[in-house]
Amino acid sequence: MSGEVDLSVELCGVKFANPFVLSAGPPTDDVKMVRRAFEAGWAGAILKTTSVESEVVELVYPMMAGLDFEDKKIIGLGNIDLISEHHIDEVEGRVAELKKEFPNNVVGASMMGAKKDDWQSLVRRLEAAGVDFIECSFSCPQGSMGEKPGAMVAQDPKLTKEVASWVKAAAKRVPVFIKITPMVADVVEVGRAVKESGADGITASNTIPALMGINLDTFEPYPTVDGKSSYSGLSGAAIKPITLHIIAELAKHVGLPISGTGGATTWQDVVEFLLVGATNVQFCTAVMRNGYRIIDDLKDGLINYLEDKGMSSPSELIGRTLPKIVTHPELSREYKVIAEVNRKTCVKDDLCYITCRDAGHEAIELDKERLPVVDEEKCVGCGLCVAICPVWDCVKLKRVENKKK
Amino acid sequence: MAKRQEPTKLSPEERGKSFEEVEGVYLPHQAIAEAARCLFCNDAPCTKECPAGIDIAKFIRRIKTKDFRSAIRTIRESNVLAGVCARVCPTEKLCEKPCSATEIVESANIAALQRFVTDLEMKEGIKLPKKAAPTGKKVAVIGSGPAGLAAAAELAKVGHEATIFEAKSLPGGVLTWGIPPYRLPKDVVMAEIDAIRQQLGVEIKTDIPIDEKLNIDTLFAQGFDAIFIGAGIGKPYFVRMPGEDLEGVYSALELLSQVNAYHSKPSGGKFPLRIGKKALVIGGGNVAMDAACSLLRLGAKEVHVVCLESFEEMPAFPSEIEFAKEEGIVFHPRSKPLKIIGDENGRVKGFEGVGIRWKEPNNFSPSNAVLIEGTEFSLEVETVIEAIGQGPDPSLASILSGIQTKGRGLIVVDEETRMTSREGVFAGGDIVNGGDTVVQAVAEGKKAAEGIINYLKSKGEK
Repeated sequence: MSGEVDLSVELCGVKFANPFVLSAGPPTDDVKMVRRAFEAGWAGAILKTTSVESEVVELVYPMMAGLDFEDKKIIGLGNIDLISEHHIDEVEGRVAELKKEFPNNVVGASMMGAKKDDWQSLVRRLEAAGVDFIECSFSCPQGSMGEKPGAMVAQDPKLTKEVASWVKAAAKRVPVFIKITPMVADVVEVGRAVKESGADGITASNTIPALMGINLDTFEPYPTVDGKSSYSGLSGAAIKPITLHIIAELAKHVGLPISGTGGATTWQDVVEFLLVGATNVQFCTAVMRNGYRIIDDLKDGLINYLEDKGMSSPSELIGRTLPKIVTHPELSREYKVIAEVNRKTCVKDDLCYITCRDAGHEAIELDKERLPVVDEEKCVGCGLCVAICPVWDCVKLKRVENKKK
Repeated sequence: MAKRQEPTKLSPEERGKSFEEVEGVYLPHQAIAEAARCLFCNDAPCTKECPAGIDIAKFIRRIKTKDFRSAIRTIRESNVLAGVCARVCPTEKLCEKPCSATEIVESANIAALQRFVTDLEMKEGIKLPKKAAPTGKKVAVIGSGPAGLAAAAELAKVGHEATIFEAKSLPGGVLTWGIPPYRLPKDVVMAEIDAIRQQLGVEIKTDIPIDEKLNIDTLFAQGFDAIFIGAGIGKPYFVRMPGEDLEGVYSALELLSQVNAYHSKPSGGKFPLRIGKKALVIGGGNVAMDAACSLLRLGAKEVHVVCLESFEEMPAFPSEIEFAKEEGIVFHPRSKPLKIIGDENGRVKGFEGVGIRWKEPNNFSPSNAVLIEGTEFSLEVETVIEAIGQGPDPSLASILSGIQTKGRGLIVVDEETRMTSREGVFAGGDIVNGGDTVVQAVAEGKKAAEGIINYLKSKGEK
């Protein structure tokens, strides 16, 4: 099957055997573990953010807290982790070791410094060690090395441009990516600052500052470290729509190559990331939940999808949805749909009725058999009933003639 | 954790009227919901328990990610009879038994998930794994039941030419002639057999009885490099009590064989056996349950089951017993049949039995039963079906000459290679294990094929 589809993608001259890459985080903080990931089939790994010796961090535990929804575990994950405890002296050795053993896998490194000298010496040392790809963390929301606690370089376009240009100036051989944050008023402004710095691409984006929850008995926030906590970085499926928005905006208005990250869990998510402009996709939380082995499901799923679409490369997907994302005033006011209920499959849970009654246009009534009936005059076609119906093939929107026009 | 998804099922009232399949199939959203109940555990105890070696954890994950095509491919890599097994596997005793989700609510419904993807595949056309280039080696397979089919498919996959010899008019063995259609529709069996024929190039020669012309020597003389015997056990045993020669007494094998033959005929017509309004089945195994529930569908209004064992001791799977109870079968456990009573025309009109207890514990053989005086009972029945077990068909004698057997004539094989006492002759399925599940036969067929492949390889090297 894979004879027809070639999953490889190229990002700024770096060839990835498939679009699936491990992002800088706990799954990439150990050589043995990355080795297993490469053996499992991951195309590349961005080693967990490293720094110079003077900036080495001390972590706190516990550092993880899940966001559960009803019976689903970890639809989001919050962490108060920091950068790697391993500084550059160790990480450069790891890069060399991994490159020697896996010349065809992409070994990237994430880095973070406090001063210009740090940033530049980190780049030089990583390049010398044989790294394929540099990623600068401008956006770790918990405990960034800024003057203000929680402030991130990528929240300041000027600072972003300045620091990125330092790194780019020092990099001689490999592409430099800037990992930005979604926590800005205008991500395009930050994207443009990256572009002006001369950096090669953007990693979009990162976790989102969050308070994971509170123990109702003790009033202590999660994850609780000796009775207290700080704000977490939220990742996982819950943030995917935010990431898609960020990638789409950058792809539409900045035009730098994008490595997508933030909430991708399945191969379908990857297709979406590519459709809005990413070239490859980084994974962390999905692997933290279910292990490196998900790579099998991702690869096969994407191959089958591309085959069905008659495509031979994931690159054919990149940016295909962007022309379909427009500003709100540009959307058609002529388009008219209304809800339609399949009376045969309806299980009489009344969910469409309730949501329309209390949050829609009171357009659904229940008949004598307790089956929903849509009042075609009242229904505006908002789609809430479609979203809430738990039954396969029941409530749908149908296009109708727009009588008002 | 969410509750286990159950597919639709015909109600007991709807069932009695026809041989229509009782279990329904998931809708896609149910399959995804059920797959999402899988904990994705690292150990995957389900996978370890599958006799056919299906990577269950993997195919469930593929369903969970809505990649149905990869799900079916994963299943097909290990089981050419996956649609059959999805229906007849006692999953509660196999893959679902150690499921980690059981500790939380209930196990994942693996059978229904496999059924979902194999049904989906049936609509689009079954796709078996590709076969390798021909090796020039030929293997004869005796019997086209699950063991023979699995062995032939496995051999064909590596490029050996497999030819199946089947005594009956249609291939499939117990799948075609034994298991009733309401549990296993015959179009499913034929679709999988056709795929084995067409895609793997396995030739199935039907109506080839085993006689002096077809035996091990003549097969080797015809140029076959190895032989696999998967002939099953087709000879029914009888209680040997007075009245067994009356009209209306049949073996379960005969009943089920007629049910399947009758069901496959579009015209219908009169059912060839005498099925009364009241009927009795003797035996406590799965075949007895199949016979009892088939009798209901043939028009019997009251069906009794008499068996030596208590409900807990019966060899039938608990799910099968439950199924029969749902349909209203009347059970007489811990009872021994004494005699069948006939009328003046030599037809069955009644039955007499007696309650028993066991002399020694955990020995369920008739000789260990002690009759309890005063518990004698009689039933008015017009049909008696005996389902107390079966053994190798005596007509296999020619094929078995020179091959070591044990007990009732079961073939002895090497545990590892599955070779019989005769070089180049292998065996598997019921004729080796004495009667086990379909999936066990598939597993033994596959294992023997592996033995044959290794044997042919080592022979080639010499």
